[in-house]
Amino acid sequence: MEAVLWYVLTGTRGGTNRVRILRALDERPRNANQLAEDLELDYKTVRHHLDVLEDNGVLQDSGDDYGAIYLPTDQARHHWDTIEEIMEQVE
Amino acid sequence: MAVLIDAMRVLSALNVALLIGLGYVWGRNFYRFRSKHTLGLLVFAVLLLAENALSIVFFVFNFEGLTAWVTDPSFVPTIAQQAMLTLRALEFAGIAFLTWVTWD
Repeated sequence: MEAVLWYVLTGTRGGTNRVRILRALDERPRNANQLAEDLELDYKTVRHHLDVLEDNGVLQDSGDDYGAIYLPTDQARHHWDTIEEIMEQVE
Repeated sequence: MAVLIDAMRVLSALNVALLIGLGYVWGRNFYRFRSKHTLGLLVFAVLLLAENALSIVFFVFNFEGLTAWVTDPSFVPTIAQQAMLTLRALEFAGIAFLTWVTWD
């Protein structure tokens, strides 16, 4: 999981925005629309990042289609110190 | 076979282009995150970029007469040129795939 976090968050082009999304969801779970608005990102960009983070087991969704709320998985919580270490560098 | 040498030149140039892109993404991320993981990716991109840039110097510019030597079929037979081209093609495939996952 740690290697995945480092790669997905610091090894790719969209890493910085994914870190911002993770931080926002750590404050409180939100849906894709709220994330796009709160982070001033394109809705499609947010959707893409959410899919990548879900694919890699970092986020899970509540399953309510469009209104689905996203939150970190247990696995991500377990490695939260790594995520925090990465988050410290952004903004 | 001049076409084999040309193919090598083209693949080296494509590798350079992709590695500049990867170096840009990883360099920017390293500037931001300062992690050894990102530094590792950046160093990897820089070294492979140097390898491909040198290959262009050797195969395109007549470096110390080396270009004439490596492109002359009487010195480097076709089968050896094919082998070199295969290595270059595999390297290109690897870098292209890595670019695809990194551009995410």
